[in-house]
Amino acid sequence: MSREAYQPPVSAPAPTRDAFGSGLASDGPAINYLCGDCNSKVPLKRGDPIRCKECGHRVLYKERTKRMVQFEAR
Amino acid sequence: MAPIQPSQEELDRINAETVTNVTSTDFPGHWPGEDNSWSLPSFRKTFKINIHHNDPLESSFSLVGIDAAVANAFRRIMIAEIPSVAIEAVFVHNNTSVIQDEVLCQRLGLVPFKGGKEGIQQFLKWHPRKKDDGMNTVVEEEEEENTKFDYNTIILSLKIACTRNREAEKGERDPLKAYHNAHVYARDIQFKPFGRQEQYFSGEDAIRPTNPDILVAKLRPGQCIDVDMHAFKGVGSDHAKFSPVATASYRLLPTITIVKPILGKDAEKFARCFPQGVIGLEKVDKKEAQRKGSGYEGHEGEIKAVVVDPMKDTVSRECLRHEEFEGKVKLGRVRDHFIFSVESVGQWESDALFLESVKVLKTKCEALKQNLQTMNR
Amino acid sequence: MAPKTKPAEAVASEDDVSMNDEPAVDTPSSNDDPHNPARMAFGEQRIRILPGSSDTAASFEFKGEDHTLGNALRYIIMKNPKVEFCGYSIPHPSEDLMNIRIQTYEGTASEALEKGLDDLSDLCDVVEEKFIKARDEYGTPMET
Repeated sequence: MSREAYQPPVSAPAPTRDAFGSGLASDGPAINYLCGDCNSKVPLKRGDPIRCKECGHRVLYKERTKRMVQFEAR
Repeated sequence: MAPIQPSQEELDRINAETVTNVTSTDFPGHWPGEDNSWSLPSFRKTFKINIHHNDPLESSFSLVGIDAAVANAFRRIMIAEIPSVAIEAVFVHNNTSVIQDEVLCQRLGLVPFKGGKEGIQQFLKWHPRKKDDGMNTVVEEEEEENTKFDYNTIILSLKIACTRNREAEKGERDPLKAYHNAHVYARDIQFKPFGRQEQYFSGEDAIRPTNPDILVAKLRPGQCIDVDMHAFKGVGSDHAKFSPVATASYRLLPTITIVKPILGKDAEKFARCFPQGVIGLEKVDKKEAQRKGSGYEGHEGEIKAVVVDPMKDTVSRECLRHEEFEGKVKLGRVRDHFIFSVESVGQWESDALFLESVKVLKTKCEALKQNLQTMNR
Repeated sequence: MAPKTKPAEAVASEDDVSMNDEPAVDTPSSNDDPHNPARMAFGEQRIRILPGSSDTAASFEFKGEDHTLGNALRYIIMKNPKVEFCGYSIPHPSEDLMNIRIQTYEGTASEALEKGLDDLSDLCDVVEEKFIKARDEYGTPMET
């Protein structure tokens, strides 16, 4: 059940417009993204430039949910 | 030899553009001086079954002397009411392949499985249906968790990841050689027996796909699929994946009657109007040439067309398109000769499928008779 | 087809505990499996007489039946000389109902229906017996 529950971000304040690109607020948890080019994991924090650290590619993807998803085979 | 000898008028039913004499009329009071009421002894006497071939996956046989209503009931039951096991619930832990979760699940549901006959037919019971369709038990969402037992659920899993093949030659373009597990096949699905399932489904009898080479998905390095599956018993009327037959169909035995002689070059052309083996070519013999009114007078030694095997005919009606055969041939079908063709997908033997359909119809009758008696009480 | 998310632990526990813990004695035998749709009609009332019926002319409503039984039963009831008329219909394709209308010269409609069910199951016996015989004969190498 613990994984099901939604955990609101506690430390980070509500995002504002200047959170993008300003690089001022670099606190908060790092979220892993996947590079669209080299498939490496890219941990990003709030305010980080959206860019792969390995290859510099600027398209990143979200990771798939770790939750189990149930379907009917129909 | 057809037991009920149909009149010629009844047989000539196929014209170039139309069919005639479609419904059966063998009912009491329909024909003057004919009884036609139901009698078991006379049915037993006239009804015949011929087996044409009988393989585990494909069989063909004729039912002779039965009405279309009943033959059709057997066919419909084989398609829609004989139970078989198929994947019903899929639990996706991870799927990073390009094929979407719901599409993958639907594909997994359609994979046919086989296993020990005793286990599937006797040991394995029905899982309570989740949806209420007006006549079946409703199982609530939470209750459903406690309805899965070793005697009604088969657990399968598919856990596969694609990696680069280090031994592959440099510049290898074929994904099957360059990567491991580039293709996910039905054979990669693992059966996870639990409880008493070991007794029924081990070794040769293990639950496995009937066709191991079904392509389920394609992967590239770094992608993986990790799903658990629960398979239940179900019927084809619920979903086609539960249907135990690939096809179950029948056709009526065709008849071809050559009314006037077809001779020489015409005979060869006539034979070409039909599939091979339907029409044969023979020489008109002396006796026939001498018989008056046979139409063969003075044609001794010429080639004539004769009907050899009407069962092979597809009733393409090609011969009715040519002027030279007009009035010389009549096409028809024997009303009560059903040539069945049953193809099993592998969970049942094809002949057992027909026997089971007979059993299902009988069970229906008995159950409804009991219903009727309680209603009248 | 909205996917339902469920915690993974719930499934794991269900696999591990409840499935194995079911006592062997509780397994329903194949004949009285309560969830087998083919046998469910034994446990519930599926036939009713529609209003406006008399003894010799009645309409019966069958739950959960279709052309499979409807047409076969219509044929076999029409073979009964006491029956004046028999027909079946499926009033609406999305309702799982099938109606049979029976009108008789003598005897009640209900008797005609019961005879029809009896005749049809007799027919099934003959078909089964003959099929097994034909198959066994076909199977022996002496015959072929």
